[in-house]
Amino acid sequence: MSGGPPKGLPSTGPHSLLDMPHPLAGSSSEEAVGGDSTPSPDLLMARSFGDKDLILPNGGTPAGTSSPASSSSLLNRLQLDDDIDGETRDLFVTVDDPKKHVCTMETYITYRITTKSTRVEFDLPEYSVRRRYQDFDWLRSKLEESQPTHLIPPLPEKFVVKGVVDRFSEEFVETRRKALDKFLKRITDHPVLSFNEHFNVFLTAKDLNAYKKQGMALLTRVGESVKHVTGGYKLRSRPLEFAAIGDYLDTFALKLGTIDRIAQRIIKEEIEYLVELREYGPVYSTWSALEGELAEPLEGVSACIGNCSTALEELTDDMTEDFLPVLREYILYSDSMKSVLKKRDQVQAEYEAKLEAVALRKEDRPKVPADVEKCQDRMECFNADLKADMERWQNNKRQDFRQLLMGMADKNIQYYEKCLTAWESIIPLLQEKQEAK
Amino acid sequence: QQPAPLEPLGHPDAGLQSAVGEEAEGARDESPGEGTMTENNFWLKKIEISVSEAEKRTGRNAMNMQETYTAYLIETRSVEHTDGQSVLTDSLWRRYSEFELLRNYLLVYYPHIVVPPLPEKRAEFVWHKLSADNMDPDFVERRRIGLENFLLRVASHPILCRDKIFYLFLTQEGNWKETVNETGFQLKADSRLKALNATFRVKNPDKRFTELKHYSDELQSVISHLLRVRARVADRLYGVYKVHGNYGRVFSEWSAIEKEMGDGLQSAGHHMDVYASSIDDILEDEEHYADQLKEYLFYAEALRAVCRKHELMQYDLEMAAQDLASKKQQCEELATGTVRTFSLKGMTTKLFGQETPEQREARIKVLEEQINEGEQQLKSKNLEGREFVKNAWADIERFKEQKNHDLKEALISYAVMQISMCKKGIQVWTNAKECFSKM
Repeated sequence: MSGGPPKGLPSTGPHSLLDMPHPLAGSSSEEAVGGDSTPSPDLLMARSFGDKDLILPNGGTPAGTSSPASSSSLLNRLQLDDDIDGETRDLFVTVDDPKKHVCTMETYITYRITTKSTRVEFDLPEYSVRRRYQDFDWLRSKLEESQPTHLIPPLPEKFVVKGVVDRFSEEFVETRRKALDKFLKRITDHPVLSFNEHFNVFLTAKDLNAYKKQGMALLTRVGESVKHVTGGYKLRSRPLEFAAIGDYLDTFALKLGTIDRIAQRIIKEEIEYLVELREYGPVYSTWSALEGELAEPLEGVSACIGNCSTALEELTDDMTEDFLPVLREYILYSDSMKSVLKKRDQVQAEYEAKLEAVALRKEDRPKVPADVEKCQDRMECFNADLKADMERWQNNKRQDFRQLLMGMADKNIQYYEKCLTAWESIIPLLQEKQEAK
Repeated sequence: QQPAPLEPLGHPDAGLQSAVGEEAEGARDESPGEGTMTENNFWLKKIEISVSEAEKRTGRNAMNMQETYTAYLIETRSVEHTDGQSVLTDSLWRRYSEFELLRNYLLVYYPHIVVPPLPEKRAEFVWHKLSADNMDPDFVERRRIGLENFLLRVASHPILCRDKIFYLFLTQEGNWKETVNETGFQLKADSRLKALNATFRVKNPDKRFTELKHYSDELQSVISHLLRVRARVADRLYGVYKVHGNYGRVFSEWSAIEKEMGDGLQSAGHHMDVYASSIDDILEDEEHYADQLKEYLFYAEALRAVCRKHELMQYDLEMAAQDLASKKQQCEELATGTVRTFSLKGMTTKLFGQETPEQREARIKVLEEQINEGEQQLKSKNLEGREFVKNAWADIERFKEQKNHDLKEALISYAVMQISMCKKGIQVWTNAKECFSKM
């Protein structure tokens, strides 16, 4: 290959890889391959994407058969990545309203998924469907299959030990709902994943099961070919930047695991503290019954301790429901990223192996066979996608943890404020001069 | 070491004035022996008492075995009226057993007084961080404060403060033990068995004392329970705070692999360390509250002792009245010749024959003497009993007010401690939140 290290390739959009001009082919595409500038309009026009506009406000690819090797890097440059304000958003998804369904065979929960969008991929501006956990699970598998170069957000844990956790308790359902909501929002925010066809169907189809049945037919050839990359190739060495990512993720997961254990321990200690407080408060009440002048002050102290106990219970509930699940989700998230890294390694290994095979054949013309070129393409796309996703992930991670930890601090502040109010309000009562009984 | 003013624990705004020099209403000075009054001059001055030091000592005990004990330095200062300057007048060392001796003496000679209690002999109601070892410096320190408090309570009691033995306790180091024992107070003490017996058999005790005894039992029970649970609460709270310290370490480690998030995490971790270490001082302060509760736990025992004394005196009185009545009856029977009551004399008379009129006369005479004596005794016992009730009740009223005041103060200071703890918590977490916001 001429030129330097493989740079981000232009998006392939809905077309298969075969239609794309090879990086080594015409010079016009080489310009696009190079620099970080936006590609020339004629390059984009050269691809016929059908009737639909390519340049959408947030730069996503139109929904349709998505190419697994689609590089999001070009589009990322078009997209405003940090659109936290949501003003440039054109897709909003919410998960709410859990409902229990009791059938003869089983009992399960469904959630309402509300979608609002101005995207052309959606026939209607608004949709409302009901989905259950296994539908989410299906969606995730589909996304992993069809977008193997991208990081798919994690789902909350599938299996819960019956008897240990009540699958239908309000707290469990609410925790799960929040996680599912987060899952869909992360996909919504992703410039490539949000245009995935399966995602669209998930959000809109009345009968998802019917669609699921015809699932196999919609896999693209390229999708299949990437999926069938076997693990038979051994990677010589991970490029530095990916090795760094791998190391980071390992340490990150370790630290999160430690934090999870610490948080659990804190909750455990707090609950034990609560148990003692619940015995402590009433003793003051018992004492109050014996006394004359001290009766009211003692009763006041008892009530005060009761209020503090309630506040503490609220704190532990919040931490259990809001803090721990999000923490665990991020451990799953980093695990997902690591498996994407491994897949990338596989692609690189395959490419290198094929390249080596070619070199060994010692032909006079350094003709690069088509399949090796394809491999290289795949690898470079993958690298680009992964880097882009990693960057996005890092940024989201920073925001998510900022929010999570600030939330934890907030809950503790609120707890202490409630206790403070209780104790301060009792001081005048204690200082009151009692009427002689 | 600043000597504490003449007010016991929980009297933050009391002045230096000792309660002496005031004749307590109707108070009867029951201290033994002469010479008590002469020492009163000492007490008209304001004094300050402090237990300022504790020292480990080794010596030989009664069985000539080596032992280690702690001695406490008691310093007494007299305060000049005009300029408030205090002058050290006496300073001596005493050990806990001597305090006990003093108190036992006071219990015997002032049974109508709710005698202030000593700090506990052994550490009880400890939570795990606190040592149960008597030689532990923290325990010794708390005991020193407790002993000082005891002396201040005695010194501020209108009646107890005038006691000579108490005065000597503060002023005469050598020979004090012998002096106390010479009073023979151990002999005067009522046996526990006697007191228990009286409790079961007294027919007409003053209802107020019965109620009060019941109250003191309940008070003991509830304060014990409170102290036990409080110790467990302290234990748990300690655990909660200390585990947060782990966040400090892990945030620091995590910050090492982060770019933008690193600083925020690192500094937040520091605040978690601060949070974790803050609990030590918090719980140390709370021990003071526990000590205040303990004092009243032991006071409940003293209260019960006064009630039991009343029961005993009342029982004694009832027995004496019964005895007198029976003698009168006997006398009457002898005089009239009718035998209604059983008597040994009557029995033997039946067995060995009727007694002579002379014999009967003699017996009547003896009985009449006994009856006379008995009536005198009954009169004085009655008087004693009424005096006891009056004086005891006066002290009980005094005690009640003191208790209400002290415990209210204790609750207020406990609430203040909690408020301080909450504020510290808010501060730390607010700081941490700010660090997180900079992530």
